[in-house]
Amino acid sequence: MVRVDGRELEWHEGMTVADLLRGLADLYPYAVVRIDGRVVTAPEFDKAPVPDNAEVSLLHLIAGG
Amino acid sequence: MAQITVEEIRRLNYERPLIEKGYANQTLQINLSDSAVVVKPVTEKMKEVFVGGKGFDLWLLWHAVKGTTKWNDPENALCIASGPLGGTSIYPGSGKSLVTSISATTGSVIDSNVGGYFGPYLKFSGFDALEIMGKTKVPSIVFIDGIERRVQILEVAGLPDEAHEITEILTDWFGQGKPRNISVVSTGPGARHTLIGCLNFSWYDLQRSRTRLKQAGRGGIGTVFADKGLRAIVARWDTVTISTNHPADEIALKKVARLHSREIMEQDPKQNHMSSVGTAHLVTIMNDYDLLPVHNYRYGQHDDAPSMGEDVYRRLFDKGFDGCWIGCTLACAHGVRDFVPTSGPYKGKRVFVDGPEYETIAGCGSNLGIFDPLFVVEMNFYCDAYGLDSISVGTSIAFCMECFEMGLISKKETGGIDLFFGNKESALELLHQMARGEGFGKVVGQGVRRMKTIFAEDYGADRALLGDIGMEAKGLEFSEYMSKESLAQQGGYGLALKGPQHDEAWLIFLDMVHNFIPTFEQKAEALHWFPLFRTWFGLCGLCKLPWNDVTPADNKQTKEPAKVMQHVDWYAQYFSAVTGAQVGPDDLIAMSERVYTFQRVFCVKMGFGRREHDAIPYRAMGPVTLEEYESRRERYDTQLREVYGIDIEGKDTAEKVRLLRRLREERYEQLKDAVYARRGWTRDGIPTVATVKRLGIDFPEVLEVLKAHGVE
Repeated sequence: MVRVDGRELEWHEGMTVADLLRGLADLYPYAVVRIDGRVVTAPEFDKAPVPDNAEVSLLHLIAGG
Repeated sequence: MAQITVEEIRRLNYERPLIEKGYANQTLQINLSDSAVVVKPVTEKMKEVFVGGKGFDLWLLWHAVKGTTKWNDPENALCIASGPLGGTSIYPGSGKSLVTSISATTGSVIDSNVGGYFGPYLKFSGFDALEIMGKTKVPSIVFIDGIERRVQILEVAGLPDEAHEITEILTDWFGQGKPRNISVVSTGPGARHTLIGCLNFSWYDLQRSRTRLKQAGRGGIGTVFADKGLRAIVARWDTVTISTNHPADEIALKKVARLHSREIMEQDPKQNHMSSVGTAHLVTIMNDYDLLPVHNYRYGQHDDAPSMGEDVYRRLFDKGFDGCWIGCTLACAHGVRDFVPTSGPYKGKRVFVDGPEYETIAGCGSNLGIFDPLFVVEMNFYCDAYGLDSISVGTSIAFCMECFEMGLISKKETGGIDLFFGNKESALELLHQMARGEGFGKVVGQGVRRMKTIFAEDYGADRALLGDIGMEAKGLEFSEYMSKESLAQQGGYGLALKGPQHDEAWLIFLDMVHNFIPTFEQKAEALHWFPLFRTWFGLCGLCKLPWNDVTPADNKQTKEPAKVMQHVDWYAQYFSAVTGAQVGPDDLIAMSERVYTFQRVFCVKMGFGRREHDAIPYRAMGPVTLEEYESRRERYDTQLREVYGIDIEGKDTAEKVRLLRRLREERYEQLKDAVYARRGWTRDGIPTVATVKRLGIDFPEVLEVLKAHGVE
């Protein structure tokens, strides 16, 4: 199980951020997510693993200084 | 602690007005040349047209200077203001001061916003804005004591040179046992010896029992301050409560402030972690998207960048509350305790360092090819202590390093300093030289624009190449984002009134990453709305970070997520609650458009503000060198083929660089046309008479400036 912005989702072995986002049925083009507080950006989504019991935050906006 | 002596030159005892709905309704003018201290009324018309903050500053500055005024002429004014919402103790980000002057580096109007308690203390002492004119040969302090209701010009002796020590001493001297009541504006020796001096604004950190600093950095505002003979401006005020700003509707204010504060507390720990790492969270994100400047903006990425990411600074930052104004839940002004510099006058001593933020990490780190977080902390410390703008320092040294590597300058010119990228000792030595006004550091301290002239005329360097790689526009050094792949951000930098600082428009993600604004018209619309909304914060005495560095959980489901309209709506409610004027989101934009357009006319008055002045170096648009092109060859080849329909078969890299350059430069000119049209300006970039009339800023002196430049 992983928690995505408070929502619980099924976890599977080898899950990547890209897998997780596909499972959301959410078409928003996320650029950055936090996995247990750690920043992962879109270029890394395909290879970045999501561990079981992870807390995931989806950041839809990066605003600059 | 050093012993100082002060002697009164002039005193004005005054009646302190009650603050009414966010306004003191008067400003303070001090002329250092003849020690005149004058209190001037704020008219209803002034509030209606200019709102406050930067708007008031600009109006005062406009009347102080002529079109021929230079930055170091006595009539140049240094204006500091809060704003009607400034000083609110329960709404996040409500303590900003806005500073304007004629810039030492651009020769035109500069503005900078800064945290710390000065702006609110100035207002609560009875003045919506402070205007410092003239010059004195006597080292002087201006003391504004809102508790005792007196303004003094004081001669001071015995003050040390560095800003953090000046601040500590004056906080102790004037605080009368209550250091929290004091805010100091000061600079350091670097401001006297360069053109890129900054101002430090202080507040007293009760938890750590020490003074803290934030910087008004851009355009040599600190240099103007030092040139006037000022050592410090000190404001003294007492306890601040929600009632101190006397809002029109305290209940409505509490309600909207609670909503925004609560949201920050709930969402920031999930989103950008501003309250624990500040803007340092941006380093790895920018790096991953090829947006972190590396080696003088040649590249946007480096394998070593994560060594300066948020995880590292989270460990380095001292734990505790870091709000630069009371009641800010974003609280992003972090610092490093017990840092021990490896060089310079504080070598081996323990110091507290306020920062670093993203701009300093990128400017004094990656852009110099240096990926050592402690080195950046040391650069940050000395930039603040010396009163130097860490953005201009970083961008200027990066330029020198590239010139050195290209052979445009050599050890002969640098005085024996080896300036290859990555050389930490050399970068620090240059910084110390800048502060002393010695050696090659004295040249670097003139900023990139003047260095380009010196390198070409005195050292025989290739002027065209210097023009391509010297990252300045309008005479101001670029802040620390790569704009090569975002036309909208090229406009965000090039079309910014004061020069290439991202506080007007930061559109990289909207444009490059998400491709939400693909057409010229959409980019032009973004370059209309975003600079205007960002301007609004400066009119009111607010920080923009709570607007879009934390967002509502459901923000992405809104029509235009980048505008964060829920927050815009809260800001309208906030303005209404304080001032009593019932406004909506569109009214906030209208307020800004008046001031923004007026500032452009002001630039025209000063001999700038036309199409030619919105030019940017090609390095900001695309690859200058063959190496840059080759490093991202697939990207550029694809663009030439698919976006521009060019057959690149058989073309060598040099030819492709030329083709891409021609196309990108054409696109930038087309963007200018679209933006000028959207803003109601001529093709030469000057506001039309119809525009200034529509905005109600068609004052005779404004029309005169337009007429003198062929706009009738």
